[in-house]
Amino acid sequence: METILYLIAYPPLWQVLILGFVGALLVAMVAIWFERKAVARVQRRIGPYWASPRLGGFMMIVADLIRYATQQVIIPTTVDKIAFLLTPVAVLVVTILPLAFIPLSPHELYWPVASMEYSLLIALALTTLPPLLTAVLGWASSNKFSIIGSLRESYVITAYELVAVLAILAAAASTLSFNIAYIVEAQQPVKWLAILNPLAFLAAFLAVLMSTSAFPFEIPESEHEVVAGPYTEYSGILYVLNMGGGYIRRFIYAIIIALVFLGGWAPYTPGLDPFTGFIIPSLIVLVKASIIVLIMSFLRAVYGRYRLDQALDAAWRLALPLALLGLGWSIVLAYMNLI
Amino acid sequence: MPARVSLKSLKRRGGLFEGIKSNIQALAIGVKYFIDPQRSTLLYPKEYIEHRPGYRGFIVLIKDKCISCAACARICPSAAMKMARVTEVDPKHPDKPRQKQYPVINYQRCIFCGYCVDICPTEALYHTPFQDVVYESLADMFLTLEAFQLEPSRPSVSEGSPVVYEVDEERGLIKRRR
Repeated sequence: METILYLIAYPPLWQVLILGFVGALLVAMVAIWFERKAVARVQRRIGPYWASPRLGGFMMIVADLIRYATQQVIIPTTVDKIAFLLTPVAVLVVTILPLAFIPLSPHELYWPVASMEYSLLIALALTTLPPLLTAVLGWASSNKFSIIGSLRESYVITAYELVAVLAILAAAASTLSFNIAYIVEAQQPVKWLAILNPLAFLAAFLAVLMSTSAFPFEIPESEHEVVAGPYTEYSGILYVLNMGGGYIRRFIYAIIIALVFLGGWAPYTPGLDPFTGFIIPSLIVLVKASIIVLIMSFLRAVYGRYRLDQALDAAWRLALPLALLGLGWSIVLAYMNLI
Repeated sequence: MPARVSLKSLKRRGGLFEGIKSNIQALAIGVKYFIDPQRSTLLYPKEYIEHRPGYRGFIVLIKDKCISCAACARICPSAAMKMARVTEVDPKHPDKPRQKQYPVINYQRCIFCGYCVDICPTEALYHTPFQDVVYESLADMFLTLEAFQLEPSRPSVSEGSPVVYEVDEERGLIKRRR
């Protein structure tokens, strides 16, 4: 029993494979399902139902996944074949990469990153990589909708990535450390930065929502304007990789926000053995991150899509001052020794 | 001379406070509907709409009342109803067969206006209160005299429960179970 537990808690297996890929896939499926059901509730519909009435139509998402997985993959003759085929895979890999630098346990034994300074900086730097590949997607597709879509993506990313990084780094300013594990331990038990510094939290939430093109703000791939944006030429499993990449990216950001602003495993004090020291804290973080993702999904029911200029206007005139205010407030927090 | 391009910036409505307030209001409405959904979707085979009396659904013939006046066939605006000539036994002279005309209907053309039912002097035609009947082929929709006298079967009645749509003053169109 003990051996099996140690095997499961082997960090690359548990954190990257089970939590990273399987967990992210599950969270993405639940997020898509919740998005459809919640929006249907608000809009006086029912949403997916007949696929499995007892599960509330959750099997519809599984059916969609099977359909995408078995669909024919069409590769147009005009595309840059190597880039066209490799980029979706690269998007997925690069998207999951920040998880290697996010400690989900305070012990160095389970994840060496826990004692590493600058883990927050490295994780944030790695989260900014996938949008570059989105630009490559648009270029490789050689389609005008793809080009316009990836151009929009780069506009939105330039505006909101800065806000996200600034707002999340406000936590580092208030705790005087770039170490995620240290930031989490500083928030024990309920000195959560979301409560102490709501401005930075709001700015980070908004920036993540916009930069990962969550549903009401899916400016790069808005269906009515540019068919599917950078993903226009993709079909079948390659499309799933692209679309899932967006959801997983949002999930990774949600994990970072849950660690930095919502106290990570905060009310819980991790023990030393693999179960209480690694598995339970990581599951607490996972639940907090899933709640953030679900709230982001719910916003689809309330808001309409912004135009590109409105989104950029909101970024520079609203979100950036908000993030700067949050940064200033966190410096005040650090100066007054509130955390 | 090229057209002069001038950037026009629209004045913002309200201030920061107004924006925060309206955002919170929108979120509150969303949460309210999320907690207390007022759905109006008809879960079709499980539920069916129970129409009020007077609903113009499928038309059925009572052959014994028909006097073969052909008024229904003449009034029909889409020429769905035609008179069919039938050889049958005359009840007064059982040994001598007679020829008589009865209406038959083509549901490919019928628009369910109900003129035939209105005009029938002996009330030999009547409406059933439903329209959800499926035919397997277009030829089946041209009913024979025998089929025209039978009420079409309605599977959703045996499987589902009836619902009624009503207009509520505050909530708009709502679905209510009977």
